[in-house]
Amino acid sequence: MIHFKIISRILGLLLLIEALFMLVALGVSVYYDEHIIPAYIYAIATTLAAGALLLYCGRGKERNISRKDGYIVVSSAWIIFSIFGSILYLISGYIPSVSNAFFETISGFTTTGATILDNIEEFPPSLLLWRSMTHWIGGLGIVFFTVAILPVFGMGDIHLFAAEATGPIHGKLHPRISVTARWILTIYIGLTVINTVCLKFAGMNLLDSICHSMSTIATGGFSNKQDSIGAYNSPLIEYIVTLFMFLGGTNFSLLYLSIFKGKVGDLVRDSEFKCYFNIILISTIVIAAGLLLTDAIGIEKAFRDSLFQVVATVTTTGFCTADYMLWHPLLWLIISGLMYLGACSGSTTGGMKCVRVAILGRVMINEFKRIVHPNAIIPVRMSHKIIATPVQSAILAYTVLYVGVVMVGVIVNVACGLEFMEAYGLSVSCTSNIGPALGNYGPAFSMNSLPEVLKWFCSFQMLVGRLEFFAVLLMLTPMFWRKQ
Amino acid sequence: MKIVIAGAGAVGTHLAKMLSAESHDVVLLDESEERLGKLESLFDLKAMIGSPTRIGNLKTAGTGDADLFVAVTPDESTNINSCILAHYLGAKKTIARIDNYEYLQPKHKEFFRSLGINSLIYPEKLAAEEIATSIKYCWMRQMLEFGNGELVMIGVKVRGNSSIINIPFRDLQRDMPYHIVAIQRGDETIIPRGNDVIEVDDLVCFMTTKSHISYIRDICGKEQYSEVKSVIMMGGSRIAVRTAELIPSDISIKIIESDYARCNKLIELVDDRVMIINGDARDPELLRSEGIDRTDAFIALSDNSETNILACLAAKRSGVYRTVAEIENIDYISMAEEMDIGSVINKKKLAASNIFQMMLNTDVSSVRCLMFTEAVVAEFPVDEGMSITKRPVKDLGLPVGANIGGVIRDGKGINVSGNSMIEPGDHVIIFCLENVLKKLEKFFKR
Repeated sequence: MIHFKIISRILGLLLLIEALFMLVALGVSVYYDEHIIPAYIYAIATTLAAGALLLYCGRGKERNISRKDGYIVVSSAWIIFSIFGSILYLISGYIPSVSNAFFETISGFTTTGATILDNIEEFPPSLLLWRSMTHWIGGLGIVFFTVAILPVFGMGDIHLFAAEATGPIHGKLHPRISVTARWILTIYIGLTVINTVCLKFAGMNLLDSICHSMSTIATGGFSNKQDSIGAYNSPLIEYIVTLFMFLGGTNFSLLYLSIFKGKVGDLVRDSEFKCYFNIILISTIVIAAGLLLTDAIGIEKAFRDSLFQVVATVTTTGFCTADYMLWHPLLWLIISGLMYLGACSGSTTGGMKCVRVAILGRVMINEFKRIVHPNAIIPVRMSHKIIATPVQSAILAYTVLYVGVVMVGVIVNVACGLEFMEAYGLSVSCTSNIGPALGNYGPAFSMNSLPEVLKWFCSFQMLVGRLEFFAVLLMLTPMFWRKQ
Repeated sequence: MKIVIAGAGAVGTHLAKMLSAESHDVVLLDESEERLGKLESLFDLKAMIGSPTRIGNLKTAGTGDADLFVAVTPDESTNINSCILAHYLGAKKTIARIDNYEYLQPKHKEFFRSLGINSLIYPEKLAAEEIATSIKYCWMRQMLEFGNGELVMIGVKVRGNSSIINIPFRDLQRDMPYHIVAIQRGDETIIPRGNDVIEVDDLVCFMTTKSHISYIRDICGKEQYSEVKSVIMMGGSRIAVRTAELIPSDISIKIIESDYARCNKLIELVDDRVMIINGDARDPELLRSEGIDRTDAFIALSDNSETNILACLAAKRSGVYRTVAEIENIDYISMAEEMDIGSVINKKKLAASNIFQMMLNTDVSSVRCLMFTEAVVAEFPVDEGMSITKRPVKDLGLPVGANIGGVIRDGKGINVSGNSMIEPGDHVIIFCLENVLKKLEKFFKR
């Protein structure tokens, strides 16, 4: 049973929220006295009108939403948000093409950070802010964000969260989901503010520090500079950004517990966090050693570049301080391998998430053990809790889908005329919501040269990857739409 | 004494039989007619059908004027509940069987007392402790510790290579750092006198201080036993889970359990060093594939005593030098002894030792039972003016079947000879047969 009325109502409400965010950007625009103020007014008017229309269509007493409705709401919310968000780029004339504007917006909301812009520095401040704001709204999830500030949906919140949350297991901090959401939002806002202050202190101007902290905590990757973080040429800024990317990739529930309840042990002993930390540690050491051997740079620089690039990739942020495509092929191959992983579940990152990687690893080891001890019952344990078999098979299915989507992406990309390396890199990067890919779509280049059709296809891959495949792909199955 | 026992399971039935044999008035209360069965016609006790948590049933069972109320149903909540009710109705002392080691922490003792529960018994925990000790000291049959381990009682089966056999006691025990309190020979428990000798295959009970444990091992000729490094347990019972927690972490553990659903439960209860194997531990093929020949200890903890005995025999044949069997059928214990099954674990006896303690009208620190014989070891605190302090040990006139094993004085364990005096402030450790325990009361009266 699909409740179109309530879906329409929720989507209308979400559009009003989006208009509210645009209003913030308008405020900045007025402050800088930009010439694109009319564009804002058109965009906000359109969004408000559409929102009001949807609210009008969805009027009624119905309050309960089903699990199916949850999937429809979440998938369509992301698409509608991107459509209306792109209006701003279009009307202002800074991104005249529809495909480019949509690509840039969905890349923002899905916190991918792949950009089609070759002239970022020419953008007016308010539009830069809006661009980073798309990251920030999408970081925790569009619907999540809304429920956290406006718990108005009534009974179905849990279905919305389930459809949007990342990772295989969702823990609650508080019996009420809206309170949990508010606590997590507190952490999110707190980290963004602290990050802004740190960046300002380290020498960025206020606008840049706000924009960069929004895209850092959301692990997005949009920068106000064409050369990304590398443009600032400041080790201090690089270390600050690294730290906050790392925090953005940590499980926000565990961060909440360690900051407000003093349970740092819970975070440090968490199996997923250990896996996340170790992946970063080992990759950084290997790449730093590789850089020292192949390039004539100092130890500090090698360590910094390697750490920054590893954290930016594992947390699927996609900022750059060095063009890894100029490194030894072995080193950027490691980076391309890290693109699959992602950071912790319940964070703002994309990719597979360390918890899945760790569970898959344990499932694999257990298979070896089972050959030696055919009758043994060997549990898969994460942080001392047993992972039930249905969760294990869901993770296996997820992995198959993941690899499948990447493979289909590679085929489509090659069919549209890309070389294999570019095709592969682009497919992995979009599915994991990272941003920069390999070869001609590496950190030094924008996505502007992509064929039109691939811009749409990559947008689709970003959305599918961000919503962890099932939510979007489910709606493409006939089973979902069948009555009864 | 008037005693009400709630729960006619294995432990409850055993207690009822034992206490009625000692001519106490026993009422056995259980909800199931089937469990009560023909007990009433076979033993001198009153069996009553009724729920131990219903006030009406408890009143009818005579809880109001009972000296002791024992709740030993399988469910701990029922036990605690019924003890609270029994206390409210007027029972003088209550004992509840529990299944949660948190409750045993000393800081909660006062709370349970305020609820009217005098004592908590947890036979599975005691059993697990016994097993863990017997794995640690695999050359002995049983070891009981007193006064924080300062004084220990050790049961050892002596073989032909021991240096103490066939020597009369009066020559053996002169100035030695141990005291032999009893000898178990077949079904007979001997309190040794001057002319007695230790024979091959006797089970000897030593009382000694902590520092002399290895000396006892040497005189018994048990030097060849190496340390246990790997354990296989048969049956994933509650005892198995507790045992897995208590065994030192450098020992690898496998639990073989035949019920698949229980296996899935077990993996939640134990940590990753324990491997859970689904299968029948009596299957030699399975045991071989899990490396029984490289295993040091085999612990049989299934519900069935016969199965446990047979499985231990099979394990011995495969080369396991240390076996422990849970034997709930008390008649089988001496049989298992003859068949050289190493240590024996009996939940009923463990539960009974607590009951003995509650039935004494004098202060007693602990009563511990011996698995291989019908005897207990009790620790009594000594106060000014007690009759035991009046004369040297040899002139006290202790009842036949009782023997002072040692004394803990100022936190140190001391061996006792005939001329020793017991002083106020001491704790005396006395070995005695179960039916003699009650007669010791008068020595601890002021």
